[in-house]
Amino acid sequence: MKTSYRSSFFKAAAVAVCLSLSACTIVNTATLPTDPNLHAPFVTTGDIQGPYQSLGLIQVTRKGHLLFGFVDIVGTDIQTGFNETLMPEIRRLNGDGIINVRFHQTQVLPVTQVVQAIFFVIPFLWTEVTITGEVVKLAPGGTVQPVLQQG
Amino acid sequence: MKHAPSPVPLVAPRLTRRCGANQLTLVASLAMALCGSSACTAVVQSGPLSSRPAQGNQVFLSTGAAPRPYQTLGFVQATGFGNQVAGVLDVGDAQIDGTIKGALVNAAIKMGGNGVINIEFLDENPQTPAERAGDLADSLKTNSQGKREVKTRWRSVHAKGEVIRFL
Repeated sequence: MKTSYRSSFFKAAAVAVCLSLSACTIVNTATLPTDPNLHAPFVTTGDIQGPYQSLGLIQVTRKGHLLFGFVDIVGTDIQTGFNETLMPEIRRLNGDGIINVRFHQTQVLPVTQVVQAIFFVIPFLWTEVTITGEVVKLAPGGTVQPVLQQG
Repeated sequence: MKHAPSPVPLVAPRLTRRCGANQLTLVASLAMALCGSSACTAVVQSGPLSSRPAQGNQVFLSTGAAPRPYQTLGFVQATGFGNQVAGVLDVGDAQIDGTIKGALVNAAIKMGGNGVINIEFLDENPQTPAERAGDLADSLKTNSQGKREVKTRWRSVHAKGEVIRFL
């Protein structure tokens, strides 16, 4: 009888631990330069009002592996995607900015990272970040005025 | 007549093992160096869409909104499938330009539209220079039966948008 109670308790505890490990929220952010003196290309997930010339669509993808579950060697986060890949590409295309940006970064549960850290010999935690958008050049004298959504 | 055992067989496995370890280290270092540089970054690009204000009588294409009043005719989604052979040759329709300026525009014209707005697109599996180089190396390498197997990768590009007719 006592053994049965103990067994049930351990089962319930194991379920509780599994549930607590699987329930979490992962947040990734990227910040953009706001200082106008830096002359950084503008980035928006929306449209702009002013006249512009389209320079084409662009998709940048950074692929890598989380070494030991936590070490991101390549830099497969949104911030690195914007800073290291997207911005240089916009400048290379001679664009003023990018509109209608969409992005996605692989998000990994901490428990998976721990498992990868333990079984580091078998690499399975592949991650990537993808950013898409339309590179534009503003008309002479044009400014970035976002299109306001009517709600 | 009995020959004295040659020392070579004793040394050779050690040498081979060392060479193997060195090669492995070299490959690992190369992979790290490639990933550390831009080799793990894939950039896919297309030609320009419509500028604003629109010029000419071509079908208006934009990832954003329409520049003037319009009527929505419907929606279109297209996927261009293809293959990449040995990391160097792209076969099929898995290109952004072909999918948007070909498939989306043709669908819009068939629907009686003269524009596609709010275009969204995604290259499902863009290949980084490191992956292309790996595929090429795998394709040139002979297997245990002495045959070469050309490595191919499935490729696909999705695009979708809202088909419109300007008023």
